[in-house]
Amino acid sequence: MAGAVIEVRGLTKHYADVKAVDGIDFEVRAGDIFSLLGPNGAGKTTTVEILEGLRDPTGGEARVLGVDVRKGYAKIRDRVGVLPQDFEPFDRLKPKEAVAYWAALFDRTLTKKEIADVLERVGLTSRADAQSMTLSGGEKRRLGIAMSLVGDPDLVFLDEPTTGLDPAARRDLWGLIRDLKSRGKTVVLTTHYLDEAEQLADDVAIMNKGKIVTRGTPEELISRHGGGTTIVLAGAGKEGYAALAAQGIPASVDNGNVLVHVANARDVRGMLAKVAAVDVPVTEIYTKRSSLEDVFMKVVGARMQEGVLAE
Amino acid sequence: MKRILADVRAFGVQFMRSRIGAFFAIAFPIILILLFGAIFSGGGSQKVPIYVQDLSDSPESHNFTAALNATTVLEVRAIPTGPEILQYISENSINTALRIPADFQAKVLANETVNVTLYGDPTQSSYGIAYAAVSGAATQFNFTVARARPVVIPTTEKIAARDLRFIDLFLPGVIGLTVLTNPLFGMTNVCAEYRTRKFFKFLATTRLSKGEWLVSKIIWYSFLMLVSTAIMFAVERLVFGGIAVITPMAILLIVAGTFEFTSLGMILGLYVRDTETAAAVANAIGFPMMFLAGSFFPVDTMPPALQALARVLPLTYVNEGLRATMVFGNDAKALLYLGITIVIGVILFIIPAKALSWKSK
Repeated sequence: MAGAVIEVRGLTKHYADVKAVDGIDFEVRAGDIFSLLGPNGAGKTTTVEILEGLRDPTGGEARVLGVDVRKGYAKIRDRVGVLPQDFEPFDRLKPKEAVAYWAALFDRTLTKKEIADVLERVGLTSRADAQSMTLSGGEKRRLGIAMSLVGDPDLVFLDEPTTGLDPAARRDLWGLIRDLKSRGKTVVLTTHYLDEAEQLADDVAIMNKGKIVTRGTPEELISRHGGGTTIVLAGAGKEGYAALAAQGIPASVDNGNVLVHVANARDVRGMLAKVAAVDVPVTEIYTKRSSLEDVFMKVVGARMQEGVLAE
Repeated sequence: MKRILADVRAFGVQFMRSRIGAFFAIAFPIILILLFGAIFSGGGSQKVPIYVQDLSDSPESHNFTAALNATTVLEVRAIPTGPEILQYISENSINTALRIPADFQAKVLANETVNVTLYGDPTQSSYGIAYAAVSGAATQFNFTVARARPVVIPTTEKIAARDLRFIDLFLPGVIGLTVLTNPLFGMTNVCAEYRTRKFFKFLATTRLSKGEWLVSKIIWYSFLMLVSTAIMFAVERLVFGGIAVITPMAILLIVAGTFEFTSLGMILGLYVRDTETAAAVANAIGFPMMFLAGSFFPVDTMPPALQALARVLPLTYVNEGLRATMVFGNDAKALLYLGITIVIGVILFIIPAKALSWKSK
């Protein structure tokens, strides 16, 4: 495929009794943010580590920047940046030292200004002289991203970069990831945060049990699997549900709220009018557009919280 | 080479910022030197007493006891010639005693071999000191009386005709101890930490190879051990006026020993699960070796079974080699031990170089 930075065909990784990756196919276009989304144990990290040259596949084909990952990865090593899952920096190195050290491991010598520029890009200028052990969780991930960028890579793998961070730190990192895209980098982002994929990704593949269960842009996935809009009658309960049913309006009850699903956007206004005409005790009426969460619920059959599938 | 030097520098910076690491590499050996030096290198009351039963009571035997006194490590105290020596030792709670046989002078003058017998508990450090000093005195005596032909046993080792002090014998042992503990404990811990914290995986995303990483650790620890040795040597020389010398052979032994124990630490680090286990495993291997490999007293003074065990411990050859070259000027013996150390080191290095994998399984 023209412009594909990553091409994967029939990729498998089997252990004794587990198919961690079970025959997946996908490609990643240059300049995209591609997100592998799925619960813990779905096979995301295994897939990414194969693409990073850190794990050998059992079968299938995987090419990164035109190179077979089984052989010849050395040729592209400095064109690929990696932020591993659960990244921790070296405790007693300062960010400016860590960046200089990592650059040297790619045979590059950075000037003080270049180091300062890298740290500025990730928002660590004021912490450049602090030992890394004193950095916050978000700052440590920022340092990891800075280190992954020292070789000026074309392709950056970010494996669950925001896991365990507070909401503010997560959103800060989102800005950084968008900045990578704006600089023309291709980003492979694994995450179990649905909102993260929805906010950042141009292309999303949802993995579960080693397989890609669906794939597309967030809008395509929502349109294909989630679809439409939901009118929420907050606090309407069973009484509201019965009243709507009596009027022939299909609905469902979730946590005391009555939900009315509208498949086409053009029908929302009419349905709102119908619902409003029914005498139902509600605390609030609002509409909710389907999200990747709904898509995930539909294709995987369970909700996901902090990477774990709900029963 | 650039990558290796960058890794050495980064590792060294982190090491020196870790106060515990710097303490054990630099401060702890100095404390040992000062402590043991103060105990054993002070005034006459701090000499090791040796009780001598001179059955010969002749001019030559008097010369020999004078040579013992001249070591400055021993304080010679006479035992009457009448009682049986073992009974006398038992009745008087004596740690170390020497019996000079009645035919001592006759055999020395006839240029025949004569045995002087040292009695004592080999597990006591004073016994080791006494043995080393008696050996030194005997050799010196051989030099002056019998023109180097070894007529007085127990030693046939060639030594420089100098006054040996405890600190001179102790310094090579402490250097050997430092060469063991820092790389062994350090690398076991580093490998465990790098694996559990996924640093290996992160390093695998760079151009640094596994072999380069291993070499950089050996370079760092060699540098550290040489600095540590220089400081220990300076303290020994300035504070206690010791006469042990740092020879080129000693430097080679220190580097080879560091290579050996860095590699051993890597092997242990491969198989431990976490840093807590790493500390326990390194202690289990390192501590017996400290005491059995002659860091604090010569291996020859240990019971035969322990001597046999000591001969399979790699630190023994580092300690004995350092003593041979630094104290006795015996580079031929040190060269042999250097060779043994290098061979063991290469074998130990090959194992982690093959087994260590940065890739996930």
